[in-house]
Amino acid sequence: MELTRREFIALGTAAAAASVLRLPERQHEKSELLAGEEIRKPVACQMCSGYCGMYFVKRNGKMYFEPNLEHPVPGLCARAAASLQLWNHPLRLKKPLKRIGERGEGKFQEVDWETALNEISAKLREIIQKYGPESIVITYKVTHAWILPLVIYTLGSPNLIQHASTCHNSGTYARMLVLGAGGPPTLDVDYERARYVMFVGRVFCAAMGMVRRLERAREAGAKLVFVDPRMGNAVLSEGEWVPVKPGTDAAFLLSMIHVIMSEKLYDEEFVKKYTNGAFLIKPDGTPLTEKDLGRESADYVVYDLNAKDFVSYKRAANPALEWEGEAAGVRVKTAFMLLKERAAQYPPEKASEICGVPAETIVRIAREFAVNKGVIEDGWWTAKNANDSDAFRAALILNALVGSIETPGGLYVKMSSRIPSSATSAADKVTTITGATLPPITAKRLDLLKYPAVPEVFDTVLDAAIEGKPYPVKALIIVGTEPFTRDANIEKLKKALQAMDLVVVIDVVPSDSCDWADYVLPDLIYLERTAILDAMWVPDAAIEYSSKVLDPPPGVDARHGVWILMEIVRRTVPERAAAVGYTSEYADYTKFGEFSKRLSGLILESLSKAWNVPKEEIEKALTEKGFFVFARWTPKAGPGTRPTKSGLVEIYSLRALDFKDDPLPRWKPPAYKIPTAPDEFYIISGRDQLLTAHNAFTWTTLSLAERAVWMNPKDAERLGIKDGDVVELEGLDNGFKARTKVKLTYRVREGVLFAYSKYGGRTSKLITGRWEILREGVNVNAFTLSWLEPLNGSPALNASVRVRKVVV
Amino acid sequence: MRLAHLWDQSKCIGCGGCIAACNAANYSSSQEPNPTWGGLRTNIKRIVFDLQPRPTLLLVQCQHCENAPCVTVCPTGASYKDADGLVKIKPELCIGCKYCMVACPYGMRWLEPETGLPCKCMSMECLDRLKAGLQPVCVTVCPAGARAFGDLDDPSSEVNRIISKKRVVRLLEYKGTEPKYFVVVGR
Repeated sequence: MELTRREFIALGTAAAAASVLRLPERQHEKSELLAGEEIRKPVACQMCSGYCGMYFVKRNGKMYFEPNLEHPVPGLCARAAASLQLWNHPLRLKKPLKRIGERGEGKFQEVDWETALNEISAKLREIIQKYGPESIVITYKVTHAWILPLVIYTLGSPNLIQHASTCHNSGTYARMLVLGAGGPPTLDVDYERARYVMFVGRVFCAAMGMVRRLERAREAGAKLVFVDPRMGNAVLSEGEWVPVKPGTDAAFLLSMIHVIMSEKLYDEEFVKKYTNGAFLIKPDGTPLTEKDLGRESADYVVYDLNAKDFVSYKRAANPALEWEGEAAGVRVKTAFMLLKERAAQYPPEKASEICGVPAETIVRIAREFAVNKGVIEDGWWTAKNANDSDAFRAALILNALVGSIETPGGLYVKMSSRIPSSATSAADKVTTITGATLPPITAKRLDLLKYPAVPEVFDTVLDAAIEGKPYPVKALIIVGTEPFTRDANIEKLKKALQAMDLVVVIDVVPSDSCDWADYVLPDLIYLERTAILDAMWVPDAAIEYSSKVLDPPPGVDARHGVWILMEIVRRTVPERAAAVGYTSEYADYTKFGEFSKRLSGLILESLSKAWNVPKEEIEKALTEKGFFVFARWTPKAGPGTRPTKSGLVEIYSLRALDFKDDPLPRWKPPAYKIPTAPDEFYIISGRDQLLTAHNAFTWTTLSLAERAVWMNPKDAERLGIKDGDVVELEGLDNGFKARTKVKLTYRVREGVLFAYSKYGGRTSKLITGRWEILREGVNVNAFTLSWLEPLNGSPALNASVRVRKVVV
Repeated sequence: MRLAHLWDQSKCIGCGGCIAACNAANYSSSQEPNPTWGGLRTNIKRIVFDLQPRPTLLLVQCQHCENAPCVTVCPTGASYKDADGLVKIKPELCIGCKYCMVACPYGMRWLEPETGLPCKCMSMECLDRLKAGLQPVCVTVCPAGARAFGDLDDPSSEVNRIISKKRVVRLLEYKGTEPKYFVVVGR
């Protein structure tokens, strides 16, 4: 039926007249409608790992989201607001797909769930028999993260390997060395009370609850400083942008340390009391202990200015920060002095040459930071230049020098919510939340064999798949993550996928990995399932809840990812599955809810016991309000005992000595070729509030974020490039070539190109029709090789390219 | 009553939450292209001044002008200024002539091709939210405290409270439109 425009207007009129003209009547109607139909249910946005608290609202037949303002991490940003675009997206994966072409061709046929799951399991059984269960790897980001230990350990493999190396491993290594802390949620900024916040390469893309907390500090006059080669969205608000050269953050920060130490702007009392600055270090770099002095204890030793003697650091009343002399027959010097000497290698003029920030800016920011007792955010996505851990060690040391750890407006140490794991693998056994015990998994994780300090290095999976060493990887299950836009060295990734016998993707939209999979299985989006989650981005011990508010739209035969995974497990290793409490009764998808409920019940029981709160109370709060806070963090005078070797904040890292690593940070040049010629550029990628691998598919993101490389207008003028011109980029290290449009903007430093991560340059052939615009732009990861930091496996996702204007 | 929007450039982190929420609440999360502006069907436009030495962001939407050109040029009275101070559209009177779209100095109207009607801030769901005592959706969702909405005639309104203590500008004031969209540019 074709309507004329006039008829369209008439239709619109009828609908609108009801709402605009006959107002009283409609209000009467609405109150009934409200009573019957308005829905407000708590959900936790899972479009990124911020997990912002929101309400799903259905009003007047319209569905949208409001922030849950009582929630510890209230939302929301464009990604959350556009969630429904993902829900009924035309490209949403609708049926299980089975590959019929070559790997990489993207040719599939639809199959039913039984066929897909049975064939996958048959293949897995064959692989286990031939190569052992450890040749199965699951990689993921955060989707279904809680259940995955149960899945992988029941299959009998240790290899559950997250995206983390491509995100935060370098920061995590730094947090471990200086503070004995772990991944990003373990430390964060007490934004509410912050006075001066520096972000190094962090654009404040999530979680929005942090933005809200920071808002209070901004009202009170807090200053924000963003050290980054590109100007993220947040810098468009009031704040200072410091356009540093890529890969030189450590030089900038070490120079700040130099200024603060040489001008004595540090918090002396804090450094004495809470750090190991007073430890006496021997010429071999190890700390002097009482044992060295022939005493009984093995305590580390300081020089006590009151006692005028060497004293255990635990008993010293007035430890000297700057002392050197003879002890136990060797020359010793305080850790503080060694740090000072190290930082002195980066005077502002020299650091300026490295990092491209004027010396006077470095000095000014160092002074402002110290005088205001500032805080440096501890880094989230830090996999950029394969030298990033030194930068974040320097950042954490700066926080310690000005007394900004566990203090008001400093870094907080997050309180754990004590959510139990679904399964734990120990040397003698595997235990599960369902009360089962399985024999121990004897194979070692692939990542830790090569990168002993921090796990989750997916590059080791690629090596094992290609080389068959230390043991082969033959099956990969990719759960809600996207190696092609996530990992470095895409050619190596392809080679590894080719070498595998089975590749399965569980996702909601066609990632580039789908084309390389044997089976693609459609998952639910977060609005179609419930979840109990850790409220990560808040200092308090808290959990949150996401309600199921929608079913998959008509035509989408998606299943709960946990059901998919547990069915794969059950059909592969039925006895082990039964042992952990997953039996064939749940094969009927309609019965799966009972298993899910059982797991939720077990989580709540465990939390109830851990916090001594009735289970019903937690459950009621979760389903009604969407969160439960077990304990609230409050600022203190300084940190308690830290899980470092000394229990103190280690500005001189003793753990680093165990790894034979430098106990102090140092700037190292990035691994990729440094651009030198006029047509050579750094190419960097990054995130912002508009982007995640899934959001890239939404029209909101496609409308608001450009699929082009950003270029500084001064560079463009030199090269005769205009806004919108097409250029060819050629990787200086790997020769990879790609074409893209150029966007001219002063939001990127001269000599640097920027493109959003996980966005343009997509390749999947399942991306069709108007959505093919996702092929525009570049995937910066494609210009990289496997440049990984030792010990923590953090890759460089930045690279360098030659730019050539394409005449069309 | 003179209802007005306020947007704080000095606080906005450019997350696009308001833009996407407007699309969700007022246009059913439509992924159909906006035929007038290109991009998304939403009533808020995001403009980044990339070629300024220090780039800045501007979010623009209907200014609810006291002296609204769209109202002046409307031949049928479909565009009108309501007693609450907001510029609204009576769809039943609209003949789709698009004069209003041309007349708006801010370019803040776009055409919905399915109905042939002009769209702008505020749309049906937001107007309905006001009746229910709620804020427009863009104000409700903003995580950065960068938006406010309220009555300029009420001295205690949030909008007045901010205007009285911050540096505030209005857009294209020289056009004589007396816009009621306030942009905070700093302390």
